[in-house]
Amino acid sequence: MAVLAQMKLLAKLELCNLYGLNVLRFSRDRTAKKRAGAMLAVWMVLAVVLIVYTGGLSYGLVYLGLEKVIPAYLIAISSLLVFFFGMLKAGSALYSREGYEILCALPVTQAAVAGSRFVRMYVENLLPTLAILLPGIAVYAWAVRPGPAFYLAVLLGIWAVPLLPMAGAVLVGALVTGISSRMRHKSLISSALSILAVLAIFYGISRFSHMDGGLHPEQMRKLADTVFSLLGKVYPPAVWLGRALTEGSWGQSLGWAALSLGVFVLVGACVSFRFRQICQSLFGSSARHDYEMGDLKEDTVLRALCRREFKRYFSSTVYLTNTIIGPIMSCLFSGALLFVDLESLTGQLPIAVDVCSLAPFAMVGMLCMMTTTSTSISMEGKNWWIVKSLPLSVKSVLDAKLLMNLLLLLPFYLLSELLMLLALQPGGAELVWMLLLPGVIILFSCVYGLTINLRFPVMDWESEVTVVKQSASAMLGGMGGFLVSIVCLAVFFTAPEAYANILKAILCAGLLFTTFLLYRGNCRKTL
Amino acid sequence: MLSIEHLTKQYKGSNKGVTDLSLHVEPGDIYAFIGHNGAGKTTTLKCVAGIQDYDAGAIRIGGKDLREDPLECKRMFAYLPDNPDVYEYLTGIQYLNFIADVFRVPAGLRRERIQKYGDTFEITPSLGDLISTYSHGMKQKLAILSALVHRPRLLLLDEPFVGLDPKASVILKDMMHEICEDGGAILFSTHVLDVAQRLCNKVAIIREGKLVTSGSMEQVLRQGDSLDGEKSLEDIFMEVAGDVG
Repeated sequence: MAVLAQMKLLAKLELCNLYGLNVLRFSRDRTAKKRAGAMLAVWMVLAVVLIVYTGGLSYGLVYLGLEKVIPAYLIAISSLLVFFFGMLKAGSALYSREGYEILCALPVTQAAVAGSRFVRMYVENLLPTLAILLPGIAVYAWAVRPGPAFYLAVLLGIWAVPLLPMAGAVLVGALVTGISSRMRHKSLISSALSILAVLAIFYGISRFSHMDGGLHPEQMRKLADTVFSLLGKVYPPAVWLGRALTEGSWGQSLGWAALSLGVFVLVGACVSFRFRQICQSLFGSSARHDYEMGDLKEDTVLRALCRREFKRYFSSTVYLTNTIIGPIMSCLFSGALLFVDLESLTGQLPIAVDVCSLAPFAMVGMLCMMTTTSTSISMEGKNWWIVKSLPLSVKSVLDAKLLMNLLLLLPFYLLSELLMLLALQPGGAELVWMLLLPGVIILFSCVYGLTINLRFPVMDWESEVTVVKQSASAMLGGMGGFLVSIVCLAVFFTAPEAYANILKAILCAGLLFTTFLLYRGNCRKTL
Repeated sequence: MLSIEHLTKQYKGSNKGVTDLSLHVEPGDIYAFIGHNGAGKTTTLKCVAGIQDYDAGAIRIGGKDLREDPLECKRMFAYLPDNPDVYEYLTGIQYLNFIADVFRVPAGLRRERIQKYGDTFEITPSLGDLISTYSHGMKQKLAILSALVHRPRLLLLDEPFVGLDPKASVILKDMMHEICEDGGAILFSTHVLDVAQRLCNKVAIIREGKLVTSGSMEQVLRQGDSLDGEKSLEDIFMEVAGDVG
């Protein structure tokens, strides 16, 4: 009982500044208040976008006569999102150093400390889950007009949706952190293990969700069954709860929720059991004290700054994993093109598709999924005074951040391009565009990321997760190139082929000009 | 060396800050800047260091205006904050090398200086370790080393003795004298008034963002002559700024 009371107290502390609400309430600094307000506004806009998107998606399913699929479909989507993003940040969130030493000195149990962090993670995951599920459920209710049993089943089951994927994410995250905590290069090992886990899961999902021979006419007629079978392969619990909801079986819904809670508590107990040891290994440090002065090398300011940026980047697991998955996926995508029978694939599509024209956008969209520049200023945090007090121009500080991101993406860009060129073997103008357009989009997305981070910096953070995963800058700035690629994909998918070259030239010139304007504006700012 | 004229910095939504503060630090000065917590010492130092912008007034370093020529000004000084938060992901030597690169200190010279100051502060063997493994005092020593590696003409130190062991404090005081004898100048904030009295030739007392007294140590101590007996800096401080609640 005492543990629960302690956990409640600590959870209150963990949750009080969720989404910057405490700063918004109590800060008398107008700038801080403005920033917290802007951050909250960004979250609310994202929630609205999510609600509109899932509402629209659900309406589309109703239109296709697939309304019965809606709950299971949305449960699967939200669960996979919780699992995927949770896995990348579970280690940092659970074993965060933030306040750990203060809490350790207080008369509270380790289970209560770990438990309070679980509660925070749960609330952080519950809100987006509800933003995905509730619009779909509303559309379903509007279309089907179910009885009261449906609403009761929803009420009993929906709160437990994030629990199972969270339990999985925490297990993977704790395992990765636990293994890496024993190593000397903790961050690098942890990042490598996280990336491997993500890739393994992608591979697993693609294996399970693969449908031999595509959709046959027979299957099209039983599309709902097909979708259920597909979801059942990817994430079976979504089908169980989805069916319980649509059948109005509140008993099954409650049972499912209880089972999820049980699994979650079990995982929590397992993780809490080794909590102190893992924290001590992570926060403990070894020093050799055997340095002897050797020759020191001089470097230019830009190179010194850029080297520092790389050291910062590779020192943070959450920063690295969050930004490197996209570039790895772009290489895998380009590599996969070598093994796919493109002719038969495009032949199955209802309209003619020019793969050579679209593939570069898909590739660069993944490559720019999350740029480092969009959070690189915020990542300076409490060290920002150093750069500000040194004789460094704004241009050289920003150039170093830009250069670091470009150099990081360069090998992935080259490899992706090489694989794509080998697979698609374009000729003439297509070859030029295939090389040029992704390069221009990469440049734009890096500069755009810096612009957004200069506009929405978060310097007073205590956990890197706040910057990399939850800041307005990461949301708005990190995905600039990704969104441009999506728009380009849509444009070139629908545009007549005769205008393709002109459109590409306009796009290229427009992006370069915008990038130049953004870059010039950035350099004129004060840090 | 440093001229602060009518400096005003107010924080939005707060009554804290600095109002109409003027201060002049000449070459050879060791200038103590004292005041109660929240009086505006750190704000002033941060404004001079270019970390914080200010609302009004002018700051000149070596005759150059900080707003008009910030880079030239910054090349002349080194700033040491009250809490030495330095890049924990770098090793000590990487950090010092980074600072030396920024100030373009030639390789031979930087090695010589790092060796000299590193040995003096007994930190050389730890320079190969990550800064995250350093204690508060070691980080403070490293920050001092980084300030000395480019031989600044002006040192801005915010509570430099906090966290230092007694031996390092003595060494730092000797170094401060050495720098000033070479024509450098130091402006530093402190709460340790007897150190300020023994170390500095000038002192400024700030209270609620306003300068209440400044000048040479003798001048300031003479203000207490109307009181009974010989007065210390502590007595003067309590007299002019001690009743802040």
